[in-house]
Amino acid sequence: MKNLALTRDKADTLLLVAAAFMVIAPHFAHLPWWISATVCVTLFWRALLTLRGRRLPPVWLLLPIALLAIGGVWYSYRTLLGRDPGVAMLALLLAFKLLEMHARRDLFVVLFLSFFLLLTNFFYSQTILTGVAMVATIVVLLTAQITFQYTGAVPPLGRRLRLAGKLATLAAPLAALLFVGFPRIQGPLWGMPGDARGPRTGISDSMAPGTMTNLALSEEVAFRVRFLDPAPPQNRLYWRGVVLSNYDGRTWTRIGGTPYRRDINRITDGLTLRLGGSAIRHEITLEGTQQRYLFTLELTAPDLIVPGQRVSASDELESYTLRPLHERVRYTAVAHTDYAVQADLDPALTGKWLQLPPGFNPLTRALGARLHALAGERGSGTAELVDAVLSMLRQRRFEYTLEPPLLGRNSVDDFLFRTRQGFCEHFAGSFVFLMRAAGVPARVVTGYQGGELNPLDGYVTVRQSDAHAWAEVWVPGRGWRRVDPTAAAAPERINSGLSRALPRPAPFGLAGLMALQNDKDSWLSRLRFGMNAANNAWNQWVLDYNPERQQNFLVELWQAIGNWRTPAAAALLGALAWAGYRWRQRRALDPVQAAYARFCRHAAGLGLVPAPGEGPHSLALRLRALPLPEERKAALAEFLELYGALRYRALDDDERIRSARRLASLLR
Amino acid sequence: MFRPAVRKPEPSGAAVLTMRRVYVLPTRPGMAYAVLLLLMLIGAINYTLGLGFALTFFAGSCAVADMVLTVMNMAGLRLTAGRAQPVFAGEEAQFEVQLHNDGTTDRHAVRLGFHPPGTPRTMELPHAVDVPAGASAAVVLTVPAPQRGWLPAPPVRLTTRFPLGLFGAWSNWQPDMRVLVYPFPEADAPPLPVRGAASAEGHGAVGLDNFAGIRSYQPGDPMRHLAWRQIARLGPADGGQLVTKHFDGGAVAELLLDFGELQPMLDLELRLARMTQWVLDAEGRALPYAFRLGHLHYPAALGDAHRAACLRALALYGREGGA
Repeated sequence: MKNLALTRDKADTLLLVAAAFMVIAPHFAHLPWWISATVCVTLFWRALLTLRGRRLPPVWLLLPIALLAIGGVWYSYRTLLGRDPGVAMLALLLAFKLLEMHARRDLFVVLFLSFFLLLTNFFYSQTILTGVAMVATIVVLLTAQITFQYTGAVPPLGRRLRLAGKLATLAAPLAALLFVGFPRIQGPLWGMPGDARGPRTGISDSMAPGTMTNLALSEEVAFRVRFLDPAPPQNRLYWRGVVLSNYDGRTWTRIGGTPYRRDINRITDGLTLRLGGSAIRHEITLEGTQQRYLFTLELTAPDLIVPGQRVSASDELESYTLRPLHERVRYTAVAHTDYAVQADLDPALTGKWLQLPPGFNPLTRALGARLHALAGERGSGTAELVDAVLSMLRQRRFEYTLEPPLLGRNSVDDFLFRTRQGFCEHFAGSFVFLMRAAGVPARVVTGYQGGELNPLDGYVTVRQSDAHAWAEVWVPGRGWRRVDPTAAAAPERINSGLSRALPRPAPFGLAGLMALQNDKDSWLSRLRFGMNAANNAWNQWVLDYNPERQQNFLVELWQAIGNWRTPAAAALLGALAWAGYRWRQRRALDPVQAAYARFCRHAAGLGLVPAPGEGPHSLALRLRALPLPEERKAALAEFLELYGALRYRALDDDERIRSARRLASLLR
Repeated sequence: MFRPAVRKPEPSGAAVLTMRRVYVLPTRPGMAYAVLLLLMLIGAINYTLGLGFALTFFAGSCAVADMVLTVMNMAGLRLTAGRAQPVFAGEEAQFEVQLHNDGTTDRHAVRLGFHPPGTPRTMELPHAVDVPAGASAAVVLTVPAPQRGWLPAPPVRLTTRFPLGLFGAWSNWQPDMRVLVYPFPEADAPPLPVRGAASAEGHGAVGLDNFAGIRSYQPGDPMRHLAWRQIARLGPADGGQLVTKHFDGGAVAELLLDFGELQPMLDLELRLARMTQWVLDAEGRALPYAFRLGHLHYPAALGDAHRAACLRALALYGREGGA
């Protein structure tokens, strides 16, 4: 705005247009380009009309344009209902409404539309940055609203912004209190429109070549963990998710096990669970996955309680919710370091973990048969067999890579005997295939492995790139044991996480640059830890502040303040505030009056109490009669004289200031 | 910020709008805002938007802060009655009201106006003022004065919606003010009842026969007696003086405005209106006039004080407050 001598109306309207732009701008990221363009052109048009002092366009011109825009929304989304078209319509409505403002209530319509559009922005982004932008936008909106309330001269923009800032500052404590204390209701209140959630990546219930590699490239957070007990070392951080036992020659899928019963002591479906060793309590904040699987540290009894969700479990030790998880959930689990699962299972019942599709991988089948025969000859058990295969994997120099060569129809044969390059899904899948061929019940377990500890807030962040697959074999008398063939072939993957195990392609962008930094002490990784910690706190306290967390927090708060010290401190603070208030009030008194009040206190000590309504002149007369030293009397008389002059005589400013100074000095 | 006005000894007739005297209610946009907040809350719940909750609560708290600031925008204002000049019936009575802001924050957009009982609360008040910190503002409020006599100021209502317009605060004040309303001057009143030796030129030339020289001008001398010829000779700008023609034997033109002389058949108000018009006529033509109304008798004189005394007597004739 170069021309500062804008008339009041113009400046006010331009401010409103600017506020509307601030509200709509974040939506440009997901609105169809033509809507963003229409909004921009409309706002620009409005600004131009304002600057030129032209009339607003008539309704017969606006109406067809608006109808055309609605048609455009329908064309773009194929519907007018739902979240995205709704937001698009609101954005267009706000822009057009600015062209159709005639009365004061139109102003409020614009402001209220703006507030609602601000809310819809959170469908798409709820980052810290969005929060900061929200506050800034609100202050500008408030400024626009205040501007229209002046009836006389309008103060400069800076002062109006300050007033809006003062309003926001006044509102902030109450807003925080409401945010923390207002009873939260767990949504949704009605069926969420289908498009409310975007697609997400994550572990799925099948594993075909390539599924894991896609995940491995994603830096997206899968979940965060806070350990309430000492955390196990990195190479023990196996986060169990989905168990895959069916193989059709290409894809591993779930069996769809029988539901797990809550009562562990009366398990009849052949699932027995003995837990021992030290317990590791951990709290998991799982991102919305659109899936139903819950992840826990191995090995956690599948009796999780997830607030607001019904949880079930299979006899393969998977925990899942009955509804897909659209939102973050938080739950606490207890893992045990020592465990035996189905140790006393009847070997005759293990058939489903020995099943192999006929007609695939003849070489591996032959190898399995040989191993089986060998073990029978030597009389060795399952454990020795597993060891033998693992040492074979180690010796044959398998290579761990995200870009394995293409495999043929007999993918396990190709991998084990030809390419020897693969990712955890190749290792785990091939290993289980070989185990089954050798007559050992085995299955694939998918989930995550590892995670990154943030030293700032103690949270372990597990990302999609930590997705992992490993194997479980059943050992008679000991139950299911975890075997990680990837660890045998590429131990660095397990010990230090994926980022070190893989030679990375040249990183692009900030995320790549940050991922490259693995030195824990570099400023870049400290910055990254700081950002992660802030993000996590934001997630935990702003985005996921659900009814359960609210209750916990309020209980904790009550425990923290429910002692004598807190009320005492509050009382002390209150007394201080009151004293400060009084002091300020005293100071605000006219200095002449304050001096007179001091004089009265002083005179009262001498036995000279002014009668109600007694003026300085009569006081001065009475003063003469007092037995006081002459110079003291003279000073007090002069005080009264000056006071009378200041109070009752018309003095110019110079005289006034001089007399007031003298007055103050006389009492010292 | 929340400091009420410093207490000071109040001159009589002043009032401080303490917090207790300021009432506040949401305005129509304010209620719409409440609906909006509810919608936003439902949206935030349904989509579990953490930031949505934050926005809703923040917007709601802004409304609460607005309510506080709206009350504070008015609370602590000190009101004093200003001057009020007499008017003639049928004119608008003007009351000056002064608003003093003894606080440290500026008050903006305070509307005020007379608000006689029975007018709707939402009536738009005619005046809007800003009162900066430590300053005062004066507003002249008008009210029709249809009848002679004392007209007390109606109750004054003050409202404000500043800063956001979501809440309206209001307060009422009965100022201790009244104006004197003179009777309406009769439109086509008969000529002045000049008695004594009226000259052939008519009563307008009374006493001109007895021209007795000139003397220097004294305040109160009628303009028509200025000796223009002498003044023109040496204008006041050149050091000359205004001079007035001096007449002897003014007693010849005794002008007495006597209420008792008027036809008792006439309506009382009409008689008063005629007297009023005569007082104005006599003043306008600088004829000294004596005045008689009931027991009241003012000897012949001219000038604002005389005029005011006569009109006052007419205004209050037969009314409470003296004849």
